[in-house]
Amino acid sequence: MTKTLKRSVIAMMLSASAAALAIAEEQKAPAQDSPRASKPHWAWQPVYQPFAPDVQKKDWARSSFDAFVLAKIEARKLTPSPEADRATFIRRATLDAWGLIPTPEEVAAFESDAGPDAYEKLVDRLLASPRYGERQARLWLDLARYADSAGFQNDNNRLNMFRYRDYVIGAFNADKPYSQFIREQIAADEIAPGDQEALVATGFLAGYPDNSNSRDLVQRKYQITTDIVDTVGQAILGTTVGCARCHNHKTDKFTQKDYYSLQAFFANTAFDERLPAKKGEVEAEFQKEQAVYNEATRAIRARQKEIIDSVREAALKYHKERYLTDSRESIFKPKDQWTALDRWVNHRLDSVTNDAALAGFLRYAADDKSAPEHSKEIVEKADEYQKLTQELRKFQNVRSNKGSLNYTAATELGHSDAPPTYIFFGGNHEKPLEEVQPAFPDAMTSETPDIKPTATSSGRRTALADWLVSEKNPLTARVFVNRVWNQYFGKGIVGTVSDFGKAGDKPANQELLDHLAFTFVKDGWSVKRLHRSILLSATYRQSSDYREDVAKADPENKLLAVFPRKRLEAEEIRDSILLASGHLNERVGGPSVFPPIPANLVGSGNFNNTDPSWTTSKDPQDHVRRSLYIFTRRSLPYPLLETFDMANPQQIHSKRDVTTTPLQALTLYNSDLVFQWSQALAGRVIEEAGDNERAQIERLYLVLFGRKPSEAETKALNAFLDQHQKTIAAKAENGKLSLAVPVTTKARFVDPLRASAFVDLVHTVVNSNDFVYRF
Amino acid sequence: MLIETSRREWLRSAAYGVGGFAVGGMMPGGGWLGVPQANAASFVDPLAAKQPHFPAKVKSVIWLHMDGAPSTLDLYDYKPELERLAGQDIPASFLEGIKTSTQGGVGKLFVSNKRSWKQYGESGAWFSDLLPNLAQHADKLTFVKSSVTVGATHDISILKLNTGDLSPGRPSLGAWVAYALGAANPDLPPYVVLYGGQREPRAGSVNWSSGFLPAVYQGTAFRPGAQPILHQAPPELIGLEQQRESLDLLHRLNDLRSAARPDDSELAARTNSYDLAYRMEATAPEAVDLSKETEATKALYGLDNEATVNMGTVLLRARRLVERNVRFVHVVSGPINALGQGDDASWDAHRALERNHGNHARAIDKPVAGLLADLQSRGLLDDTLVVWTSEFGRTPYGQSGDGRDHNPWGYTQWLAGGGLKHGLTYGRTDELGLKTVENPVDTYDLHATVLQLLGLDHLKTIYLRAGRAERPTVVYGKVVNDILA
Repeated sequence: MTKTLKRSVIAMMLSASAAALAIAEEQKAPAQDSPRASKPHWAWQPVYQPFAPDVQKKDWARSSFDAFVLAKIEARKLTPSPEADRATFIRRATLDAWGLIPTPEEVAAFESDAGPDAYEKLVDRLLASPRYGERQARLWLDLARYADSAGFQNDNNRLNMFRYRDYVIGAFNADKPYSQFIREQIAADEIAPGDQEALVATGFLAGYPDNSNSRDLVQRKYQITTDIVDTVGQAILGTTVGCARCHNHKTDKFTQKDYYSLQAFFANTAFDERLPAKKGEVEAEFQKEQAVYNEATRAIRARQKEIIDSVREAALKYHKERYLTDSRESIFKPKDQWTALDRWVNHRLDSVTNDAALAGFLRYAADDKSAPEHSKEIVEKADEYQKLTQELRKFQNVRSNKGSLNYTAATELGHSDAPPTYIFFGGNHEKPLEEVQPAFPDAMTSETPDIKPTATSSGRRTALADWLVSEKNPLTARVFVNRVWNQYFGKGIVGTVSDFGKAGDKPANQELLDHLAFTFVKDGWSVKRLHRSILLSATYRQSSDYREDVAKADPENKLLAVFPRKRLEAEEIRDSILLASGHLNERVGGPSVFPPIPANLVGSGNFNNTDPSWTTSKDPQDHVRRSLYIFTRRSLPYPLLETFDMANPQQIHSKRDVTTTPLQALTLYNSDLVFQWSQALAGRVIEEAGDNERAQIERLYLVLFGRKPSEAETKALNAFLDQHQKTIAAKAENGKLSLAVPVTTKARFVDPLRASAFVDLVHTVVNSNDFVYRF
Repeated sequence: MLIETSRREWLRSAAYGVGGFAVGGMMPGGGWLGVPQANAASFVDPLAAKQPHFPAKVKSVIWLHMDGAPSTLDLYDYKPELERLAGQDIPASFLEGIKTSTQGGVGKLFVSNKRSWKQYGESGAWFSDLLPNLAQHADKLTFVKSSVTVGATHDISILKLNTGDLSPGRPSLGAWVAYALGAANPDLPPYVVLYGGQREPRAGSVNWSSGFLPAVYQGTAFRPGAQPILHQAPPELIGLEQQRESLDLLHRLNDLRSAARPDDSELAARTNSYDLAYRMEATAPEAVDLSKETEATKALYGLDNEATVNMGTVLLRARRLVERNVRFVHVVSGPINALGQGDDASWDAHRALERNHGNHARAIDKPVAGLLADLQSRGLLDDTLVVWTSEFGRTPYGQSGDGRDHNPWGYTQWLAGGGLKHGLTYGRTDELGLKTVENPVDTYDLHATVLQLLGLDHLKTIYLRAGRAERPTVVYGKVVNDILA
């Protein structure tokens, strides 16, 4: 380590800007003086710009980091792979940048571009498209455990959350500096109060799973804070802070005190889900639909309100008394005596108290004959209320589930004083030990938070956010560049992408990681520049073709002497089939949608039945949106995607698994949707290629793979058509035969049997490894 | 067949897999100590059958989750003192140290005037009038009358019952079993979920989630009806022979391309997964097809009676699945048509307990008794573990006059099958049946014990996630050795 540091400092003097140099010098001082830094964990040491290593193939590098990769390859007496051919490259890059396959026209244009900047033009085109933001957003949403519902048993809708999703898409498309991106997600309510565009960013914090019917609000607060701190710790710092909730971290120098000191930054944080959103197209549309529902149900709802009004006070008292002892202490305390904790509990109570909740009183007073409130009148009211509720349910399908008039944001409820935070024995919130203040992990930094309370907020989260994106923070940039690397190369330089601690992997190439992190910060935290440097690199341009020498010397391909092929992610598979079929609706952003689900999947019932688990969108155009717009219901993951290892939205999802199972085969092969899209793709191919069968097959291969079929493939496909046509004909019963034919408005196929065989051919090719992988 | 069939006979070991783990760290019990990586060379079958840590007492588990939480004070835990004090306030001493709500909460001590109790079997275990059929199997059961858990609402306590945590995100017990032991039958998923009724239980797949384990380990819900798995059958208009022919083409196309990648077992496994899927199109419906069962067997499970046909069907399916070596069958009790929606859709008897439990007990009593008898007569009971569980129990004090509130402090669960001391009652609640006073058994302890019977040491069943060695029992859990034979 010492040796690296020395070299690095010299490198700084040679190459880096004055500002960056100053940072390095400043960081060096505590590294020598502080006892904690005597042997700090590698990831907690400051990031220095390492020397570019000497390499033999001096003309190979295209991006500044290539030399770091090449040096390791050469050290093992290997050479990098030749460049991938252009068709393979554009399919790879388009999938990686957009999550979609390229069109045959895009492939042809790139293949025939003889200019010296063909790759630059391609990459700049990819990065300029809104599809780039959609793809990158999806990966960030994995970390944000993004969902459109709250989870647990009620799994209530969160119809505001799409605004956070759109914020993330917009941030990537606008190339918002990552530092700003993080600051807004952690503390927008403090740094940009009143700015809806920024405030929705705190949806990152607000994505925690929640059960609105919790009767233990003090416990709920603790669980919410726990979820937020674990998410921030892993997603941004790549640190498994949660391990120190119950006991001091077993491998990292991370104590329970450190952990609860991080919780303290969020001690005063609450969420407001009822902030009025600026009126736009979505809101106008929602309002229109809502007006229809309101009109249709006006009388029912008015009568329900009347009934509740007649018992409101008693019902509210009953509702409040349902909470457990320590929650009740806050709930029944006069407002002028509220502490910060009481404020939080009462805000929470307020946000889950509505007439539907109060109706619980009617049921109780009607059913419990020994209750003092029991009377003939209350029984009648309870029965009437119940009937009205059933009546109301009939209008469920009139009710809009497309967005909302509100947005969700973090708030500290207008106060700067925060509830105390304690260390909890064994993580049990009923066993508080000593009180702690907001502080950064002691072993990681000697910095102390610079907390400046505002009139309406504690200022704690701003202090945390500023430290997270401070140029001195050793983790934030390293963790992010490593995630991007993982995305392109299938494995991070640090394999455990959310654990940079001692129990995590050591970096396979720390100089490479530090070079990327240093450059990222120097480039103003520009995410697009980071992506551009990877997409244009020699490392990324290599062929993925099998090489025996590499397979022997580096069986796990740690050195990247060949490019690693990769199974497409769930969304890439669905979206690319949709694109190929010509069905993809490319609208960007807006409320989440409900495409069809298999008929034998009947979603779960929930307690209050107010939010049906799946109401398929009426507009067929909503069925063919990109996958990241599909409503993320925590209790009903979209089946087509779930089986292909989509992110589990219950907690931060750090890395997509790649599993291969028969259930996936069943899904892709038997799904009616995929089959319908295959019919459409068959129709499209016939339209574009004309009657010639060979041309049709060539076109199909160009659409799906960006290449023409080989002779052997063509032979197999033709043989299949000949045989398959007969097999289909043999299905005829009594001279009648139902056929699945290509779907095209310009029905140009002459032989329906042959055309039906062609549909099966297309459907099969869509199922092939070549489609589901990128090479 | 016209299509050239150059398919290799793939070994089961290349059948299907997780691409992300190194083989190097195969653990006892089958975990991977590996780290995610991109290379194909390390590809292993995630569902390959694995050896347990020590010889297993049982091969399969049937996990019966009584959704909504039955009052075990009305089923198994007979309390004469409660009968004596019924109608009075609960003495304050019994409430010490627990957090209750006042409203809809602590009412007068309640006993239904319909309840009667009898002892059964050589063990003399008590059963109420609600479970006359199960009572006949008293000597097959091992009672844990000191179950404890955390939580005042179903949400968090069901999560804890299934996953060990109060927040979603951890793997369910069945997912851990699938991960640690793999599939004993390659043609069926190792972890299958069955539920009563037409709809998924509340919270849906969260109940059988694989959490942070790869999705391949999550429960596969077998849905009511002839097509149990989603995407079970080919699209309309596609015949099976037609599909077979297409699959042969798929093989051919994949083989042509992978010839240049001789080491790529992941691609080979994907090709082969289509053959397994093709087989599963037949094996999954067959596994739950009751048409070959005798009328006597059907009657044993109550399929001839409207009140019991729903859960009877579920439990007969469960038997067929363990017969086919499914490792973990996760059953969730379902709603009763006559009771409608709301609390009474489950055992959640906040009011009118007699009506609620009368119906729910009738729905399960004969089927579960039939299951035990059927397993025994087929020689399967010694290889199977049946566990009756619930997220919590119910309070001795009444609610709404004739219902009971949630009780996480003391309730009864039972186990039956291999490796147990049968007819034993373990642990005890207080004289009123509110709190456990002897040998508390938390959900973690129950999980540890189930794993133990499967031959797994819960402390060594490890999955490395983000640098942390995760295990099924979080940081808790001890095997209840006293109930093991």
